[in-house]
Amino acid sequence: MTYLFSHWRLIGVLTLQHLGLVCAALAIALAIALPLGIFAARVPRASALLLGLLGALYAVPSLALLAVFVRYFGLGAAPVIVVLAIYAQFILVRNIAAALRAVPRAQLDAARGIGMSSRQQFWRVELPLASPVMIGGLRLATVALIAIATLGGYVGAGGLGNEIFFGLQRRYLEQTLAGSIPAALLAIAADAAFRALERAATRRTAG
Amino acid sequence: MVARYPRADRNAVDGVSFAIPAGSFSVLLGPSGCGKSTLLRTVNRLVAPASGAVTVGGQDVASIEPTALRRATGYVIQAVGLFAHMTVAQNIAVVPELLHWDRGRIAGRTDELLELVGLDPERYRSRFPRELSGGEQQRVGVARAIAAEPQVLLMDEPFGAVDAIARRSLQDEMLRIVRILQTTVLFVTHDVEEALRLADRIAVMRDGKLVQYATPEEMLRAPASPYIAQLFAVNADVRRYESLRNALAAAP
Amino acid sequence: MKLSRAQAIAMFGSALILPQCGKNNALRIGSKNFSENITVAEIYAAGLEQRAFKIDRHMNLGSTQIAMAAIMRGDIQIYPEYTGTALIDVLHLPPMRDPKAVFAVVRREFQKRFGLTVLKPSPGNDSQGLAVTEAVAKKYNVRTLSQCAQAAPQLRLAAVPEFVARADALPGLQKFYGGFKFKAVRTFDIGLQYEALVRGDADVATAFTTDAQIVAKHLVVLEDDRRFWPPYNIVAIVRPEVVDIQKGAVVITIDRVTSMLTDTALRRLNYEVDISKRDPADVASEFVY
Repeated sequence: MTYLFSHWRLIGVLTLQHLGLVCAALAIALAIALPLGIFAARVPRASALLLGLLGALYAVPSLALLAVFVRYFGLGAAPVIVVLAIYAQFILVRNIAAALRAVPRAQLDAARGIGMSSRQQFWRVELPLASPVMIGGLRLATVALIAIATLGGYVGAGGLGNEIFFGLQRRYLEQTLAGSIPAALLAIAADAAFRALERAATRRTAG
Repeated sequence: MVARYPRADRNAVDGVSFAIPAGSFSVLLGPSGCGKSTLLRTVNRLVAPASGAVTVGGQDVASIEPTALRRATGYVIQAVGLFAHMTVAQNIAVVPELLHWDRGRIAGRTDELLELVGLDPERYRSRFPRELSGGEQQRVGVARAIAAEPQVLLMDEPFGAVDAIARRSLQDEMLRIVRILQTTVLFVTHDVEEALRLADRIAVMRDGKLVQYATPEEMLRAPASPYIAQLFAVNADVRRYESLRNALAAAP
Repeated sequence: MKLSRAQAIAMFGSALILPQCGKNNALRIGSKNFSENITVAEIYAAGLEQRAFKIDRHMNLGSTQIAMAAIMRGDIQIYPEYTGTALIDVLHLPPMRDPKAVFAVVRREFQKRFGLTVLKPSPGNDSQGLAVTEAVAKKYNVRTLSQCAQAAPQLRLAAVPEFVARADALPGLQKFYGGFKFKAVRTFDIGLQYEALVRGDADVATAFTTDAQIVAKHLVVLEDDRRFWPPYNIVAIVRPEVVDIQKGAVVITIDRVTSMLTDTALRRLNYEVDISKRDPADVASEFVY
């Protein structure tokens, strides 16, 4: 643990960078995944194709994908955020679509039948009722992105990957742990926070 | 009027034409799949007729903007469809809010409606739908449907999912409420007993066609077809048996 | 020292800022993400800092592809590469054995295809190889692969798994040198084959020729006397704008430190970083001074 204590300022900076990468990627990912998820829920036939495509993207090795985006965005945070946002699509779109499909038909029928416009139906009824499952998807995506954001170490975007990969490479366990422990703590904290949100949302929407 | 669902091989509603007197309680009666729900749903444009028209108070509903039409038309379904994330009061207030009533008016109306459907506002106002029994949920469903004083109230097997005792009391409440509101009610059921209890007029449907539209008395006295005669005859036996059993149960 | 909130926010934000904005007029040096490459890049940096150049570091790039993409864009201007890697993985040309020929092709093709200049190669060569303990070297009189090929039936090999199957490993060796029919072949995870050697469970181990473990475990790397493996000499890849700075001062500096990178020097550097767990920058500045 001497490594962690002698490098704690560096680790602090890397942890914040790590969090920055994940937050930026999540914001972008959600903005893209929401319309895609709605589309997938509405058009079941296209959804298989869309999810297949996103699944294929998810399976592309991260380093190869990263190299492609370094060519367009250069070194630094940008290519990492793009790659993270792409990986998050698979988890988010699938969950958003599933969440919307799981909304009870009766409540949608009632919403339409009492005179809500399609926009009102979506924002006032469908989205709130889908929110617990959606938050669950967001939780999975966040935890996954915290792990994948270690990629930042590969393109000079910083983050905890720096310590993890260099430590692994030279078999320096303390350095690896100095990167992995904060990353694990971030993941655990994010998981707990989203679980709490999920519970609150479930309590509000259970029929 | 003719209605057909996309990709269906026959018309769900076929050549139906009748006029419902304002303020009456009409029951659409028939077996499941006979087109009665489809017919009901043409009234608030949830289903568009393939040909023909539905007019309310002389106005073709096709000329009214669907959301405006639906806000002015009460709608109650068997599955109730109360919004799980809203309280009882919020559920009842949905249509008044869509119509931009002011807060005070909405709050007053909500309490008034809860009392009308037999629920104590103090106790029920802030509850969530999952905290209510099936019968209580449907009372709130009715309150939500009539919140904005609709001219027409559409009810699609509203009491189909509640137990027999709760159904009986809901039916009684319904008659009382309708008498107060003077609303035109269109009520779908496949239960002959229920139709006879509630209806001013009954429309019997079969295979998308209207067989007879008449008062219950006329229908029992002069059934338009052997089908109707049989429908009510079978039911008469059931009624006789039930009243006998009730009498026995009531005996000391 | 505690971080102020403003500092924390600035750090949080810095993750989102592209590296090339900010430090101007600094030379941007990159490296791939393994000790030797990082240390060599730090050696370039240390040498240049000695000549009062400002350096902007982008170490730890995750792969050759990423390093190449970065230097093509100008996000980095200098990074250390290996001639064999440049030939096979970047240029996708067939392996060649003569170090001079490989360097000539790489230098020409990098200039032609990418407009990048390849500086002089290091004397040291980080290639694949076979290693033995001093005792085994003496006992069986093996110092070269030719000798090892003949002595193999008396020797047990400790290999990383892919060594047994790959055409550029054991099967290739057998075809190229003849012989190499080992008494026994056992496979180990990377790194553990050296342990087997030291414990006496094996006589010959697969090795990287500049591996720190060679120093740590006092091993002898057998000379590839007929050059079976392609050369992996270290070369600095530099962008054209760097070449002319101060009448070639950058190039002269890098050439000077590169000429110091022998096998022995590379093993020693790797030892300091990998075994002694020292910071590559510290090891590099010591090396240069």
